[in-house]
Amino acid sequence: MMSDTFEPKIVAFVCNWCTYTGADLAGTSRMQYPANVRIIKLPCTGRISPLFIMKALEQGADGVLVSGCHPGDCHYTAGNYHARRKYTIFREMLHFLGVEPERLFFSWVSAAEGRKWADLVAEVTDTVRRLGPRRSAWGEPVEGIAAPRLSANPVPFEAPAGTFAAQAEAMREKAKALLAGGEVGTVIGYEQGTLPGTARPAFVSTPEEVDRLVWNEHCHQNLAVYAARKPAKPGKVALVVKPCDERSLVGLLQENRLAREDVVLIGMACHGVQSEGALAPRCAACQTRTPALADPVIGEATPPTATADPRLEQIARIEQMAPAERWNFWQGHFSRCLKCYACRAACSLCTCERCLAEKAQPRWIPAPPDGAGNLSWHAVRAWHLAGRCVDCGACSAACPADIPLYLLNLKLAQVVKDAFDYEAGRDPAAAPPLTTYREDDAQEFIR
Amino acid sequence: MARVGVFICHCGENIARTVDCARVAEYAATLPGVAHAVDYRYMCSDPGQRLIETAIREHGLTGVVVASCSPHMHEVTFRRTVARAGLNPFLCEMANIREQCSWVHEDREAATAKACELVRLMVEKVKWNTALEPIHVPVTRKALVIGGGIAGIQAALDIANGGREVILVEKGPSIGGHMAQLSETFPTLDCSQCIMTPRMVEVKNHPNITLYTYAEVEKVDGYIGNFAVTIRKKARCVDEALCTGCGECQSKCPQGKLKTSVIPNEFDLGLSRRPAIYVPFPQAVPNVPVIDKEHCRYFQDGKCGVCQKVCPAKAVDFTQTDQVVTEQVGAIVVATGYDVMSSGEYGEYGGGRYPDVIDGLQFERLLSASGPTGGEVKRPSDGKVPETVVFIACAGSRDRSHGVPYCSKICCMYTAKHAMLYKHKVHHGQAYVFYMDIRAGGKNYDEFVRRAIEEEGAVYLRGRVSRLYQKDGQLIVKGADTLSGQPVEIAADLVVLATAIQARPGSDALAQMLKVPYDGYGFLSEAHPKLRPVETNSAGVYLAGACQAPKDIPETVAQASAAASKVLGLFSMEQMEREPTVSVVNERTCIGCFDCERVCPFGAIEHREIRDRRGNLLKVVSHVNEGVCAGCGACATTCRSGSIELRGYTDEQVFAQIAAVGV
Repeated sequence: MMSDTFEPKIVAFVCNWCTYTGADLAGTSRMQYPANVRIIKLPCTGRISPLFIMKALEQGADGVLVSGCHPGDCHYTAGNYHARRKYTIFREMLHFLGVEPERLFFSWVSAAEGRKWADLVAEVTDTVRRLGPRRSAWGEPVEGIAAPRLSANPVPFEAPAGTFAAQAEAMREKAKALLAGGEVGTVIGYEQGTLPGTARPAFVSTPEEVDRLVWNEHCHQNLAVYAARKPAKPGKVALVVKPCDERSLVGLLQENRLAREDVVLIGMACHGVQSEGALAPRCAACQTRTPALADPVIGEATPPTATADPRLEQIARIEQMAPAERWNFWQGHFSRCLKCYACRAACSLCTCERCLAEKAQPRWIPAPPDGAGNLSWHAVRAWHLAGRCVDCGACSAACPADIPLYLLNLKLAQVVKDAFDYEAGRDPAAAPPLTTYREDDAQEFIR
Repeated sequence: MARVGVFICHCGENIARTVDCARVAEYAATLPGVAHAVDYRYMCSDPGQRLIETAIREHGLTGVVVASCSPHMHEVTFRRTVARAGLNPFLCEMANIREQCSWVHEDREAATAKACELVRLMVEKVKWNTALEPIHVPVTRKALVIGGGIAGIQAALDIANGGREVILVEKGPSIGGHMAQLSETFPTLDCSQCIMTPRMVEVKNHPNITLYTYAEVEKVDGYIGNFAVTIRKKARCVDEALCTGCGECQSKCPQGKLKTSVIPNEFDLGLSRRPAIYVPFPQAVPNVPVIDKEHCRYFQDGKCGVCQKVCPAKAVDFTQTDQVVTEQVGAIVVATGYDVMSSGEYGEYGGGRYPDVIDGLQFERLLSASGPTGGEVKRPSDGKVPETVVFIACAGSRDRSHGVPYCSKICCMYTAKHAMLYKHKVHHGQAYVFYMDIRAGGKNYDEFVRRAIEEEGAVYLRGRVSRLYQKDGQLIVKGADTLSGQPVEIAADLVVLATAIQARPGSDALAQMLKVPYDGYGFLSEAHPKLRPVETNSAGVYLAGACQAPKDIPETVAQASAAASKVLGLFSMEQMEREPTVSVVNERTCIGCFDCERVCPFGAIEHREIRDRRGNLLKVVSHVNEGVCAGCGACATTCRSGSIELRGYTDEQVFAQIAAVGV
């Protein structure tokens, strides 16, 4: 390309049966279009992983085009329906991370639509050419643009006096009975942390040890993280769970990580937990105060007060930012990431035995804790939790670098709710949203 | 170390006109891992292919990239070429520099630069290609046909005559289906039973056909070439081996006394009564009765047993129980047919309330010589010969508000036939037909409808019936003739509704058992509406007849024969060869969340138990059945841990191409 104008590199992922054949038709019909697109052929849009889009951006593509069969025409019946759901979420995620939406294109091009393909390539090339080169490499901040800071107004913490003590007593009694009766081998609950005003997970296996267990506003950890792990002591495990933790278990049940009868749940009616002296932001608008799955439910919950979720306002503010500001906002946070994977370890739904981050062949996520590696890691993590994250807050709480991971997860939960009317962790019998589809799923973003 | 050979084709002038092929070859030679690069005028010609073969041998190539036309054009050609030189065919890739480069770009510089890049992409991909061997799946050369109507009969006979064994399973006590109920068939007016019953007998006597009537498929396991089918043979309470079909039992059954019987005869659609031990119709195959336990006195209160006493062959056996058999088959033809929507579902036309409002299939029985009236047209309420008959087409079809939106396809034709046959039987009678459009596409079909109107005097009124009520022993039909713009009121003796054709109840459950997709109305979906009309997306399962969509007899028979030919094609080999580009699971890292199973459109994901040496269950993981996997890759995309790879399109191969774009 010898002209002075910027010639973008555009990667097109297309399905073999419709779009690739449509592109061939454009050729046999000698339709002229710009030479900027590099086609990578896959059998089906079902095989075109959204992570390929990420990989193309990571490798420096200026624009990405994904194209396959029109709904109803998939050679494999439903690949494009599944793909459409994935792109719906992934695209929103990239936007939220600050990738300019104008660089991503989705289109259905049939084997008969040579004209559509030629026009599409012309339009995509023109659009990206006008946008110019990407302003920064993958994982690098855009120079000269300040990243706005966000803070949320704290909501004061209030719980009815004496409730925690009474609940704690009842919980210990139940735990003792379970251990004494041999029904379980281990009870996982909370104990006093090293510092005052903290609690930490506790594993007790004899009735005598039960007195260590506490229940108070500092018990923020999600103990469901231990549910799918093999206990050190023989016998079943009983978990002390809040209603939000219980939603993790719903996810684990959906994904065959355990069976309901494998675990005893001591459900705690919830008054919210504390974070930095105030009510944890995720508790402010929480409507689920009573466990639904638990075997016994201990205590009675205060009816939820109608408070707005302060985090939604944060999300709205991020969305109002210009893409470059948004990009820099996230690069600023991700630049602190150490790749310690504490977020992964704390997550009750990160149950893979070998995380994609550790897969070396091929390397999905650049290993070093640098710009590209950190961005790809957080994008993959959020993507893998889309439609699964139950908003327990464990990842953000565990992050030593204070990266507001919850914002990303919560945003995707919103997208899933809006697009597919699905909330994670509510119904163990429901099909996870990225494993099913509706023929009439929205597709405004697909040309 | 990879030793890739790159072969740039000029395609005469087709590529060379806009792409400088020599420069592309020069460039390719500089790429890491490329051991040989050359351009040639026609790579697909014999000398061109020999050039590739020689280069593979001389340079010890480990991979080949042919930069020429679309792989849809010549991938097979070049894979064979490399195979001839001893290289695995899946180590050959094509860079499409014709359809997607030289033909769509005019600028020689830009086209040459793009061709170089396309070659680079494929060189990087082919380095990650691995040798793949075709998958061989053994084929049990025996077919199962589900449904014994004309579709199932035709398919079974065609397969059996092709020399393969067939198991034909029919739910009812006799084969024959709806076609056995019909009087005469359009457009030739040949007697349905006259053409049907010889085929039924042929099925019974065919050495290659095992017939299970009064039986249902209960479970289907396995995959193409290797299905295990569980069939429940319901207890007839009559020993098929002993029964001679003399009919003594049914004539003596006290429940069968004509005046007192309360059991509606299903074959006559309730227009007559039958005994509790019965053969559904005189020409039934097998001609063996069955006991309807719900109505049999012996089964209800332990008294009676007359049939057993009178049976000269001692064939009646009240102690008979259901038998469950398992059969191994290699292919399945679904031919479960249709039902007509009951006229009772069309309340506003008096269906279900007025005995003289009947559906088209009931009218067939009134016309049939073997029907309840012996072929005389007599109306159900009082046996009077109707002098005015109103036929209403599209009763339920093409009606989003009351029925179904689709066209039932056969009603225009059979309504014309009804009007004609009625006229043949009741010479002074008058037939009126309310219709929306006449759809008479088919050989001699339109001529047939014209004949009904012009020669047989049926009055066709284009419009819908707005009201229908009883008055003085007649049915008053009010409607509009939209062609003349006049309201119409007809006092009819009988009204026949051409009710919609529907999928059989339970067809959705059957479809789920067979993993065949189905539409919102329960009709089973073909693999491709145009190019694969009898195959389904469940490999080894084929469709015949109205289970797929409403269709008439010639179409049904054609589709059944097509399905049979697909089955015979499959059975032509002892082993079936499948493309090796299927998914494979890394069992070490799979955690068994089975999201892959949820997205697989083909049901190819199986559960595999991983046990330690003592037999303790360690985990349950996904396993891809290579005989079923179609290679779409949806599972690989869905797997979070990256534990599934699609061979031929692995992550490595895709990443290599992506990275090559960025260079």
